[in-house]
Amino acid sequence: MLNSFSRMMVVSVLLVLLLLGAGARKKVSDFTLDDYNGKKHSLADYKSSKAIVLMFIATQCPVSNAYNTRMVELQKDYASKGVAFIGINSNKQESAEEEKNHAKEHEFVFPILKDWNNVIADKLQASVTPEIFVLNSGFEVLYHGRIDDSQRENKVASKDLRAALDRILSGKSVEVEETKAFGCTIKRVQ
Amino acid sequence: MVFAARVFFFFLFAAFLFGCRSGSERGGKPGLAVQDSVSLSDIEVAKLDAQRLSRLMRERNGKILFLNIWATWCAPCAEEFPDLTKLYRAFGGRPVDVVGISADFDDEVESKIIPFLKKQGVPFRVYVASFRRQQDFINAIDRSWSGALPASLIINPQGKRSFFLVGKGTFEQFKKEIEKTMGGL
Repeated sequence: MLNSFSRMMVVSVLLVLLLLGAGARKKVSDFTLDDYNGKKHSLADYKSSKAIVLMFIATQCPVSNAYNTRMVELQKDYASKGVAFIGINSNKQESAEEEKNHAKEHEFVFPILKDWNNVIADKLQASVTPEIFVLNSGFEVLYHGRIDDSQRENKVASKDLRAALDRILSGKSVEVEETKAFGCTIKRVQ
Repeated sequence: MVFAARVFFFFLFAAFLFGCRSGSERGGKPGLAVQDSVSLSDIEVAKLDAQRLSRLMRERNGKILFLNIWATWCAPCAEEFPDLTKLYRAFGGRPVDVVGISADFDDEVESKIIPFLKKQGVPFRVYVASFRRQQDFINAIDRSWSGALPASLIINPQGKRSFFLVGKGTFEQFKKEIEKTMGGL
């Protein structure tokens, strides 16, 4: 009897821990990186935003490049609503100068930070480009994954990042918090 | 007249023989691969839907499956291909299927995939993923996989995964893992 009571207690404690764990969001600690002009940006600088969109991007990845226009449009549509957009380049072979030229060519108006030694990519466990993390002002991850479900803009059926931002801006919880898509592996230092 | 008939039947027989080999090499059923016999102009890239992928991974007929997922736009995938070809040749005649799955769009077989395979001189069987949603294919391969390419996995003859690598691997690494899977049988 005592054994079954103990077992029940252990199961209950495990269940409570499981439920608490399920509700816990991944949190990102503050970090500082230089943009391609050498200007420092900290996550804390964007704390007053309604949401912070971290976009792991690349200059040479065809999948990331397929989203250049969509990233510009997203920034245009949501910046005025209080959403901050930050590009992060963690690829070891893509220089700050290359990033600068790429940003100019594609008319990116959001900052692009150089993540030397892929420290931030490791911290967030980002693995591909493009890959998105949407944070709240407490730097908790509200959405992680793709921009939408097709590299071909005319085939998009699910605009996942827009859906997440719309929910956040209307004070609702994000319905689909995790999505996946093919992308180029982030080229890390060994 | 008799000589002409003999010549005709000789060519007919030869054509039959070569025709059979090309069919089993590339577009044929899993497990029927024959090494090194097909000209690259015969490349076939069949569509792989959820059902066919599941069958490929589960119904092993006593063979190990080495699966590589790649795309024509993926630079490290292209760099990995010479090692994959070497791997295919190294395990020729042994119970190992080396199979590639392209993550390009399934309407890009003629325009991108086949030209890429011709350029690389790829001798092993290649499919193109044909799923309604990209995420369904990613999860069917491995639920923990982000979708980063290339990715390689080894499945033992019982249909259980023994190895999974995201990112570029080497011939030595893959060979060692296949041999380890063989040793564990």
